[in-house]
Amino acid sequence: MPTPLVEPLPIAVGLRFDDTMRQYVHEEDLDTFGKFRIELGSTQVPVFERVFAALFERIEVVDSVETPAASVDAIIAPSVEELQFSIPGQTRSGFFEVWIKYKIDVYHPSGELLGSWPLPAYGKSNSQNLGFMDGGQSQGLNDATIWALRDAAAHVAFYFPIAPEIKALAAAVEAAEASG
Amino acid sequence: MSCRDVLNVVRAAAQGGAGRPRPGGQAVVRQACAAALAATTLAVLSGCVTATVQEVREAGTGISADEAIVVLGRKHKTRGETETGFVDCVSRQVSGEDLGVMSEQAFVDATFPWFEPRTAPLDVRDLAEVIAHPLLAERIREIGVRYLVWIEGSTVRSSETGTVNCTMVSGGIPACFGFLSWENDSNYEASVWDVEHGIHVGRLSSEAVGTSFIPALVVPIPIIARVRQSACKALSEQLRAFLSSEA
Repeated sequence: MPTPLVEPLPIAVGLRFDDTMRQYVHEEDLDTFGKFRIELGSTQVPVFERVFAALFERIEVVDSVETPAASVDAIIAPSVEELQFSIPGQTRSGFFEVWIKYKIDVYHPSGELLGSWPLPAYGKSNSQNLGFMDGGQSQGLNDATIWALRDAAAHVAFYFPIAPEIKALAAAVEAAEASG
Repeated sequence: MSCRDVLNVVRAAAQGGAGRPRPGGQAVVRQACAAALAATTLAVLSGCVTATVQEVREAGTGISADEAIVVLGRKHKTRGETETGFVDCVSRQVSGEDLGVMSEQAFVDATFPWFEPRTAPLDVRDLAEVIAHPLLAERIREIGVRYLVWIEGSTVRSSETGTVNCTMVSGGIPACFGFLSWENDSNYEASVWDVEHGIHVGRLSSEAVGTSFIPALVVPIPIIARVRQSACKALSEQLRAFLSSEA
């Protein structure tokens, strides 16, 4: 995952990853199409760390959304709410598709919830791009999942800094620093 | 003899071999030999392909030695996405000593997240706005990309006729009989954007139609029309000429 090309906001944030971010596994039995397993946990934490590191002046990983002692201006807590997928055999479209529904909560270090955003992410993989030796369905789903993670990263990098709550937070931090 | 004439000859031979009553042993041997000869001849041929390109120029072009182009496949649609293989093919064929081509993946990585399916500009007005962003403008200058070539389109199988049936004959030897043919249609359009000036400089389209066939008289011999490759070659040649010449 490349580092996003964005101007960092002058905010220090804590990142709190819950179990859905660290260990999320989706298993589904599609009857005649077989059983499928998608492991998100091991891949998504570094993706979000990299994106938020580019978006903010400083990040640190924290254990709880209530960390008054931490020297950060806000705590960001992403979580996975749902994952769905489809394979070409179901849709006859020729595409493997993955949808991930994230939620991103932003807390004041005191634990007060400042805002909450739904983050839909979508990735697809064209079965025509898979070669004869590419491992078929598991490779197709893996590629679609990677594209969904990339889409989530793009969404966060593009839209998160212009969210009113984040802009207000950045303005408040800048004003506090200016006043002394 | 045209490609289509050859196709008709082989179709007749294959259908005769598979379905007609056999007049006698010698005739069958002669027929099989003729068919095998025809099939061998066809094995060195590829299927029939007709490709056409069109061009609409809206502004002058030209590229210096330190500038490059990038060929991108449109990925914003849920269906009918341009195949990665086609985009790679155009990138490879356009590239040369006088024309640098940056790979699609290297470009979208270098400009992440500005050219992702969710965020990429969909028209020239969006492009002008996007490339006006100081960070992106600086990155594009660094990597030296002058033109973006957006490709939309795909190759689809449009029709299919006939069948090939395989079975075990005496002695456990597999044998196939019949005739199968299908038509592939390629339809691609390339929009060329000048990143330096934020304008649309032209549009090129490439269409190719081709028929592939598998005559089978004991041994099936696939004769595949390289439709997508033909569309790629025609579009790439046109694109090279378009970019290197002034209006």
